[in-house]
Amino acid sequence: MLTYIAHRLLTLIPMVIVISFLIYLGLELTPGDAVSHMIPPDAYGSMDPDRLQELRESLGLGQPFFVRYWIWISGVVQGDFGYSLAGGVPIADIFLDRLPATLELSFAALLISTILGSILGTISALTRGSATDQGLTVVGMLGVSIPEFFFGLVAILVFAINLDWLPVGGRTLPGYDSFWDRLPNLVMPALVLSIMMTAGVMRYARSSMLDALSRDFIRTARSKGMPEWRVNILHGFRVALTPVIVLIGFRLPVLIGGSVIIEQVFQWPGIGKEFVSAVRSQDYPLVMMVALFSVLAVLIASLIVDLLTAIIDPRVRLGE
Amino acid sequence: MEHDVALTVKGLKTYFYNNNRCNRAIDGVSFEIRQGKTLCIVGESGCGKSVTAASIMQLLPTLSRIEEGEITYHGPDGPVRIDALDRGGAQMRSIRGKEIAMIFQDPMTALNPVYSIGFQIKEMLMYHTGLGRRARHDKAIDLLASMGIPLPERRVNDYPHLYSGGMRQRAMIAIAMSCNPRILIADEPTTALDVTIQAQIFELMETLKRDNGTAIMLITHDMGVVAELADDVAVMYMGNIVEAGPVGTVMRNPVHPYTRALLDSIPVLGRGKDQEIKAIPGQTPDPYDRPKGCQFADRCMHRIDKCDEMPPETQVSDDHRVMCWRYQEFASNGR
Repeated sequence: MLTYIAHRLLTLIPMVIVISFLIYLGLELTPGDAVSHMIPPDAYGSMDPDRLQELRESLGLGQPFFVRYWIWISGVVQGDFGYSLAGGVPIADIFLDRLPATLELSFAALLISTILGSILGTISALTRGSATDQGLTVVGMLGVSIPEFFFGLVAILVFAINLDWLPVGGRTLPGYDSFWDRLPNLVMPALVLSIMMTAGVMRYARSSMLDALSRDFIRTARSKGMPEWRVNILHGFRVALTPVIVLIGFRLPVLIGGSVIIEQVFQWPGIGKEFVSAVRSQDYPLVMMVALFSVLAVLIASLIVDLLTAIIDPRVRLGE
Repeated sequence: MEHDVALTVKGLKTYFYNNNRCNRAIDGVSFEIRQGKTLCIVGESGCGKSVTAASIMQLLPTLSRIEEGEITYHGPDGPVRIDALDRGGAQMRSIRGKEIAMIFQDPMTALNPVYSIGFQIKEMLMYHTGLGRRARHDKAIDLLASMGIPLPERRVNDYPHLYSGGMRQRAMIAIAMSCNPRILIADEPTTALDVTIQAQIFELMETLKRDNGTAIMLITHDMGVVAELADDVAVMYMGNIVEAGPVGTVMRNPVHPYTRALLDSIPVLGRGKDQEIKAIPGQTPDPYDRPKGCQFADRCMHRIDKCDEMPPETQVSDDHRVMCWRYQEFASNGR
């Protein structure tokens, strides 16, 4: 197991290198460069081209593409993420400041969608064809097809403005720092962010559960004279779980993508919100780091999924 | 005589409902399983063998139910009407597994892949015996050992995918036999296995029958197996038992054309490759569009007009019965 984890972590390195290169290349191909963003557009045209060139040289922009990539990536590896163009703040500081909020939101949404999705999917499968099942199917279709920001706006309108149960947005108020103080603020964005994933997990858990329940070992389990809940949960659900976990792993990018939008809707001070403003202000160093971070998050999550699968399903033997 | 009967089935009718159509999968079946004896139920696929087993275990699919008839289990505490019990109720569950256990056709899929063999044996012990954790574990090892699994102390923790096909079926039998059931129902237990393994499994079942006095109901489509193992035999065709009796009588003096056709369709070792193997002409009828009378009539070469009427169950002798209008002619011409 440990050698497998080490092996997987090692294979992450080339993947991260390739992806970081693609990110860097992508931004290189966008029109303009750092200098054209540092100088206001109206001043840019009237400036002496030699001065601009001088500025580029002094910023290291005159060097060949690969050299610049190398300088950037070796800095990142050593923990030097560079500076935000917009405020001149070290990007590492922005991450330290904003990352906990994003992780909090994503984990909450992941937890909700995994638990709620599997439970609803199981109920749906066990009551197949009933009104409950059909109702859940309709809800699932709506959840998958209606965009999250719409749910977010409706939720704000209903629960924050009309009913006044929950705060409109934001994460903390000054002076209230504990998790329990923040909880009311977390509820709405986490629930809204989890809707799409919950619906997906539910649909998948339903079909996976139906598949498991139609297998021969369910009949064997029944023939032992065990109560129906044990047959369904211990034998059915346990077997149905493996594909569901794999699906959740695959859906993680959706969650990260969704958090960008949801953080915007709920004014949640996370990386996603930072990302949107960075793109708007063409703050390329920051955009690159956020993109790289998302990639790392997905890669590590898929490693965790593989490990979980091995724990749940004894037929999966890692690295042998 | 009566006390050594383990299970009586009388006039059992089990119907399946599908798209507002009714399939009379079992249409009036009667038999009894004697303690310490093997009853073989033979017949083609779809004749209702497995449905009979599922009816006894109350493990029928949701869209089917027992319409008529009696299934009586003669347990140590007096007779129990199984057909009257609630499918998932506590009383049925206490019989299922403990008193009547079952092994299935394909050991590759009948065991849950995510639990160890030991877990799946101990699960049964947990529900039907008062044994503690430690005792259950020891018992599971004992059971595997008695099924001839080598190194049972280690294999008990192995998962099904680490077992071979024959070993899995042994493990299935270990599960089924774990609570010393009075009746073991085996639904084509060797169909998915090699012929050599088949012999081992049957040998094991014979031993269990002899040592524990377990009554066995063996479902098969293999007449060779019947000749080898059965004490009694019941030949099923399209939901009816067309002929039943002690194996010697039925094999030596078959009086139903279907039984005779089945016996004729087996190649016999030693007769050489030129021997004539008579296949039964035609196909089994559509269960939704059955013949009015004798179900076998359309494929029978002895058909007469009267066969449009369902023949009654007739006793040929004390323990030999048949459902055929013309059985007397076949009985007299011998074989």
